Amino acid sequence: MAKAFGIVSFAGNHVRVDGLRAYRPAGAFSFLGRYRIIDFPISNMSNSNIDHVQVYMRRQPRSLTEHLGSGRHYNINSKRGKLHLLFTENSLGQDMYNTDIAAYLTNMECIENVHQPYVVIAPSYMIYTEDYSALLDTHIESGADITLLYHSVDNAKEYFLNCNTVNLNKQKGVLNLETNHGSAKNKNISMETYVMKKELFMELVKKAKKISSMYTLADIISRSCEELDVRGVSHKGFFAAASDFKSYYDANISLIDFKTASGLFHDDWPIYTRTNDSCPTQYFESSEVKNSVVSNGCLIKGSLENSVLGRGCVISEGATVKNCVILSDVAIGKDVHVENLVIDRNAKISHAKEVIAEPERPGYIKRGDVL
Amino acid sequence: MKQNNMLAMILAGGRGSRLHELTNKVAKPAVSYGGKYRIVDFPLSNCANSGIDVVGVLTQYESILLNSYVAAGRRWGLDAKDSGVYVLPPRETADSNLDVYRGTADAISQNIDFIDTYSPEYILILSGDHIYKMNYDKMLRAHKENNADATIAVIPVPIKEASRFGIMNTDEDGRIVEFEEKPEHPKSNLASMGIYIFNRKLLRRMLVADMKDPDSSHDFGKDIIPNLLNDGKSLYAYKFEGYWKDVGTIDSLWEANMDLLDSNNELDLSDPTWKIYTEDVTTLPHYVGPDANIKRAFITQGCRIEGEVKNSVLFTGVKVGVGAKVIDSVLMPGAEVEEGAVVTRALVADGVKIGKDAVAGDAKSEHIELIAKRVKGVE
Repeated sequence: MAKAFGIVSFAGNHVRVDGLRAYRPAGAFSFLGRYRIIDFPISNMSNSNIDHVQVYMRRQPRSLTEHLGSGRHYNINSKRGKLHLLFTENSLGQDMYNTDIAAYLTNMECIENVHQPYVVIAPSYMIYTEDYSALLDTHIESGADITLLYHSVDNAKEYFLNCNTVNLNKQKGVLNLETNHGSAKNKNISMETYVMKKELFMELVKKAKKISSMYTLADIISRSCEELDVRGVSHKGFFAAASDFKSYYDANISLIDFKTASGLFHDDWPIYTRTNDSCPTQYFESSEVKNSVVSNGCLIKGSLENSVLGRGCVISEGATVKNCVILSDVAIGKDVHVENLVIDRNAKISHAKEVIAEPERPGYIKRGDVL
Repeated sequence: MKQNNMLAMILAGGRGSRLHELTNKVAKPAVSYGGKYRIVDFPLSNCANSGIDVVGVLTQYESILLNSYVAAGRRWGLDAKDSGVYVLPPRETADSNLDVYRGTADAISQNIDFIDTYSPEYILILSGDHIYKMNYDKMLRAHKENNADATIAVIPVPIKEASRFGIMNTDEDGRIVEFEEKPEHPKSNLASMGIYIFNRKLLRRMLVADMKDPDSSHDFGKDIIPNLLNDGKSLYAYKFEGYWKDVGTIDSLWEANMDLLDSNNELDLSDPTWKIYTEDVTTLPHYVGPDANIKRAFITQGCRIEGEVKNSVLFTGVKVGVGAKVIDSVLMPGAEVEEGAVVTRALVADGVKIGKDAVAGDAKSEHIELIAKRVKGVE
C-alpha cells in the first residue's frame, strides 16, 4: 500500500468537448473502443499501489457511476481499499462556482479521514500512463512541497488550448502556471497531476476559497509558487487531453498506429475497464478492414479504414467507414458512407447514404440518433 | 434475488486425452474455445443465467488452472451474498483415505456433505466439457410438472450415430421406459446429454446404496439411472433443441470453432439475454494493420493482425505478422504467426509460435493438424 491516496479530479470549465459532453462528464467518454478516459488515471493509481481513490463528479454522474461501480475491476481491494465516489453539492447550475476547490471543500471530511499522508491528484480527462509510486518517491526525495507532472509538446497551437502551461526555471522549479492561448508551438503542458502532503493540500484548498470563489487548485498552486517549493517532473510517452472535440477525435485516431499506442500501453501496466461480456467480433466474407482498432461484439460486413470501433457495432454490407471514431452499439446501414465523424452510442445511420465531414473539422452524430 | 431451490454440481475431472497436448497441462473443461472462452464457461454461465446460486465444481485431472479459474465466481456473477462457485477436488477425510473419484456418481457421493450443508430440494448434475446454451430452470419446471423423480436432458441425434450414445427410449409422455448405453440397434435417437435433475433426498439414498455396492462402477449412466429404472421410479426425458457439442477430438474442437463463422450459427454467442461470461482480460481491442486482409473470421481482443486471415478463429492475444496467412485454422490464446508464415487447416495451441516464412498444416489433410510445438522459421 502506498503512502498516498488518489484523487481523480473532474474536468474544469476550460474543458469542452462539444456533442459528447451533453451526455456525460469527460471521464466517462468512451476511448479507443473499449475504455473510458477515467480508466487511465484509476489504472495508473491502482498499478502504483494506490488503493484508496476518490473520484470527484460535478455533473451527470449516471454513466460514470455505472462504469466505476465498486471499483473491483480496477484491482482495488474491496476491504482494504476504496473507490470513493464524491459529488459536489453545488448544483445551482452555475458552472463558474462549480470548481474543484468547491468540491474538495464540500467533501473535506472525507479527505481529513484518509490515513495516507500524501495525495496524488490526476485529471479525469487526460490520457497517459505514469508510475505514481516512482513520482511519489521523487517527490519525497526532493523535499519539494509540490511536484507536478508536465509534458513538453510541440503542438500547443492546436491542442491543449485553455489548459495550463508550466513556466519552469532551469532547476525545474515551477515559476507559475499560465493558460495556453495557442500562441506558440512549444510549451510545457501541465498534466494537472500533483503530488503533495495531504495537510498542504487541505491548507491550499481552504486558502483558495478565501481568495476567490472561482479559484481552482491550479490557480492557488500557481499563486503559491513563490512561497512554496513547486517542482516539475517531465513525463515521457503518449500524452493527450480530451480538452475539446478535435483533441478527443485526434487522440483516438492517433492511437490506431500501433507504435504510438506502444507509448501508452505497456505489458506490465494494464489499463483496467469494466467488462461488457461481449463475444469476439465477427468478420464476414465481404468485410474489408484496414488500419483500425476494433472492439469485441461487432459484426463487420462492410469496409472500415483508419477508424476506431466500439463494442457491439454493426457495419453492414457495402458500408464504408473511414476516419471515424465510433462508440458502442452503433449501426452503419447498407451502402452508407461515413467519413471523418465521431458517432455516439446507439446511433443508427441507414437512410442518410453519405455523411462526410471535412478532415479538419470532424463531425458529430448524436447519441441514439437515427439518420 | 431468491433463486430456485436447485444446486448444481459440475463434473469437471476428465482429462479428454483425445485432445492430446491440449490437455497435457489442463483438464478438458479448461480448454479454450470460441476466441475468448473456456469450455467450462458454458455450464457456469448457464447456471448463472438459469438462476442457480451455488455451484460445486468437481475437479481431479490437472486441476491447478481449473481450480483457480472457476474459484473466481464473480466472473459468472456467482458472487452474491448467498452465492458461490466451490471447487471440490478429492480429499482425505476422517473415515476414508484420500481417494480419487472412481466415477461420476462417486464424485457426487464423496461430496454429499457439501450438498447437505445447502440441503436444496433439487440437484442438477452437469458435465464441464460440453458447449451449449441451456436454461436449466426450464428443465426444472418440466421436472416439477411431470412430478418426476429424475429428469434427464436428451438431444435428438441422427439415428445412424445413435449407437455412439446413451439412448433413452421413452413413452408418448416422455417418460423413460428404457435406457441403453451405446446400443447396437438403437430404438430411438434421443441421446443423453449427461445432464440430470434429481430430487435430492432420492439421489442421496441412491448414492449411499451405490457406495455399498461392490459391483458398481459408480457411474450415473451405468449404475444410478438403470437402478432407478429397475426400482420403477419415474424418470423423464427433457428434450433439448439447439446447439450442443461434446468436443472430444482435435477435429471436433476445430469444427466447433468453425461453426461460429456461420452467420446463422445456432450457438449465437451475441445473444444479450444469454451471455456467456468468462475471464476479464486487460488487453487492448484488436489491432488491424494497414496491409491486413480479413474475411470470415472470429477475432477477439488483444489480437494484432498485419497479414491475411481467412475462415479462422483467433483467440486472445494472437499475432499474425506482415505477409503471413492464416486459413481455415484455429489459433489459441497467444499463438503467433510470424511474417510470411502460412498456417492452413490447423489448430495452433496456446502460445505456440510459427516462425518466419514457415509452413504449417495442410489444406488437403484428412484430419486437422494440432500444432503444439514451435515451428521454426525459414532462415
